[in-house]
Amino acid sequence: MSAKTASATQVLFDTPGPRGRRRILLLSILSVLAIAAMLAAGLWQFASNGQLDPNKWVVYLRADYLAFLGTGLLGTLQVTAIAAVVAFPFGLLLALGRLSRLRPLSWISTVWIEFFRGIPMLLVVYGFLLALPAYGITFPRFWMLVFPMILVSSATTAEVFRAGIKAVDRGQHEAAAAIGLSPRDALFSVILPQAVRLVLPSLILALVTLLKDSTLGYVVSVNELQFQGKNMVSITRYLVQTYLVVSVIYIVINFLLTRVALALDARMKGRAAG
Amino acid sequence: MEAISENIPLLLEGIGTTIALTILGYLFALIVGTALAVCRVSPIPPLRWAATLYVEIFRNIPVLSLLILIAFGLPDVGLTLPYFWCGVLGLTLSSAAFVCENVRSGINTVPVGHAEAARSIGLGFFGTLRFVVLPQAFRTMVQPLVNVFIGTVIGSALCSAIAVSEITWVTQSLNIQYAQAVVMFLVAGVVYLSMSLGGAFLGGAIERAVAPSGRASRASRTELNVQAGAQA
Amino acid sequence: MTRTTFRPRRRALVAAATALPLTALAACSSDTGEGPSLGGDDGEEGGGTSDGGADTSAYADVIASGPVADDDAVAASEWASAIKERGELIRGGTTANQVFSLIDPGTDEVIGFDAGITQLLARYILGEGGEDSVDYVDTTVDTRETMIENGTVDCVIATYSITPERLEVIDFAGPYYLSGTAIQVRTEDAEDIAGPQDLTGLNLVTQSNSTGIQAIEEHVTDPGDVQTLPDNESCVAALKQGRADAYVLDQGVLLGNSAADEEVSVVGEPFVDDPYGIGIPQDSEDALEFCNTFLQEIIDSGAWEALWTATIGGVMDGAAPEPPTPGDLPA
Repeated sequence: MSAKTASATQVLFDTPGPRGRRRILLLSILSVLAIAAMLAAGLWQFASNGQLDPNKWVVYLRADYLAFLGTGLLGTLQVTAIAAVVAFPFGLLLALGRLSRLRPLSWISTVWIEFFRGIPMLLVVYGFLLALPAYGITFPRFWMLVFPMILVSSATTAEVFRAGIKAVDRGQHEAAAAIGLSPRDALFSVILPQAVRLVLPSLILALVTLLKDSTLGYVVSVNELQFQGKNMVSITRYLVQTYLVVSVIYIVINFLLTRVALALDARMKGRAAG
Repeated sequence: MEAISENIPLLLEGIGTTIALTILGYLFALIVGTALAVCRVSPIPPLRWAATLYVEIFRNIPVLSLLILIAFGLPDVGLTLPYFWCGVLGLTLSSAAFVCENVRSGINTVPVGHAEAARSIGLGFFGTLRFVVLPQAFRTMVQPLVNVFIGTVIGSALCSAIAVSEITWVTQSLNIQYAQAVVMFLVAGVVYLSMSLGGAFLGGAIERAVAPSGRASRASRTELNVQAGAQA
Repeated sequence: MTRTTFRPRRRALVAAATALPLTALAACSSDTGEGPSLGGDDGEEGGGTSDGGADTSAYADVIASGPVADDDAVAASEWASAIKERGELIRGGTTANQVFSLIDPGTDEVIGFDAGITQLLARYILGEGGEDSVDYVDTTVDTRETMIENGTVDCVIATYSITPERLEVIDFAGPYYLSGTAIQVRTEDAEDIAGPQDLTGLNLVTQSNSTGIQAIEEHVTDPGDVQTLPDNESCVAALKQGRADAYVLDQGVLLGNSAADEEVSVVGEPFVDDPYGIGIPQDSEDALEFCNTFLQEIIDSGAWEALWTATIGGVMDGAAPEPPTPGDLPA
């Protein structure tokens, strides 16, 4: 929706009159106090357990500490990027397979998608770590993280692509047929280009999911941020500080990616409406 | 196969723990998430800001990082919970953010006129939400909330990293003992698949029951809805 | 509450001395707090173990001065001459064990006690500079025997415990190191717990996928809750936070924890012996003899002791132990 059209969230309450404004002010002050009290209680817990000691925090401004976590972050980005580059096109193929008129192909794609959407990635990681080696199939640790990420992400992005293809207006198929395009040509030169644009915001969110999944490097000892945080804990023993810093890094990156997705989405919806 | 037959109680316990983790985490997430969504659409600015901050933090933090923080970080500041409840807390905090966003975008699908009509007959903020907007929004929220449920099922596996003896943990320990990775992998896989497919089936049934014309919503809308963010 | 004081630690100092670029960076910005140096641990890939503790310059010296076998000796062994002909030793194992075999992703150098034995063996067979011609193939606990049997690797050197079951399918040269499962407790409890007999009813923690689980099953009667966590850090946290009363694992790892953190101590002697051997195929009989000769030579030349000091010695107090006798397999 564009900013001008009202949504239900905006009309749930009247524009307050003088009494209403006073009540809102009172409730605002009360809720600020309540939130402040909760924050204060949290900080007090930190302080009374000696975890606010500045020495345990300022070290995260030091170049060697940042470089240490930086190598982990680099690993996280690398793992995520490689997984995305393989998984996204693979997801598109799976979506086309599921929509295909060839029954066996559609059936296999559907099973694949439902299977990898329904089981935890951790289980897939364990499959690569423990089950496959029983048949003599082993991979370097890096791929024991990246392959499961690809498998799981291909399934979720396949559903995104499928939804995108279905969301392209029915009239587009008819228009393509009218100008004499075969269904195959219509798909590749008319439908898909539009579908890919439609799913772009959702694909950026899939990137966020991949980034989160990469934390499982912690389980298979792949050098990524969560794992590097663990290594830092083993050296500094500043457990709560390190894991908080690591979590904040994840939150900031994912927040920015989500913002990009939302902005793209809003722009596309605006264009569609205008 | 003896790896299974000799360890039925252990496996059942693991399955029970996985179900308990998921159900408790999801139930609390529904409650907390709905409360947060109400805060996000309320006329009180500090509550709106606090709920927004909550959502941005907990939908962007990886569940594994959150679980480790709760299980091993909180004791350092004087709060030690049993591992199981650490798992429930982590799943609740994370899923609640997604419940909140889905409820909020569900509210947005209710036609403006309905809320206005509710107000014109004298219903206040809570009355409008409770009797007019939320019941209608619920219909469009079923599918997204099923996705949050599946996210919770999948997230519960990560609790094995904080020593919660759920099914992933049980099958992997048995695997070390019996070296029958494939069998164990299959057992865990079947448990998760039946939970997530079961959840999806139940969700579909609920959706059909509450939909006025008796048809399920188009998948495209929920799959392409980016408002709620990406659950891992 | 206790305020953490920053004790200069041998490990940190050793690491700092060997990682010049990073230490220089740290020195520039030393006004921002006096936290422990991260030094050369940069980018490590420790799979579950705790401490780097490898002294890289001393380590490089040990390897570079290792013995080289006579051409005749190599020629006499079919196994060794095949490796020499290929110009490369293929070792199965892990490169993610901090004390025994850890890769530095920056330089791709692998260091540690097992890595040292591997590189010394490569040098012994291939001659000067041969220590760099090693192909490190990842094996897991489940695949080690298979990969030796089907010839994917020349040998496995990977904290590989010699057991009767394994001896049925492969041969072991060595033992080259005697390790053992030990117990770590909170320092305040160190007086009360001396061995597995004192663990009855206590909550225990160990690493997933470790021999600790089996050790607990076989040696502790009626333990309380047995928790398994994926990594050493969580296990230490569980112990310190009172979730577990004792942490059962390989002694080398536990000693690394005690060296870094005075709140935890290792108590008693190891209660399960783990002699590590070099896993080799059964069909090449000369390999066993060749490897045992090699091990005897590095023990006699002092390389074994120097390697111990440069690696395990970094996390363990006292002098190097008496080396084991190669060929002296457990019954």
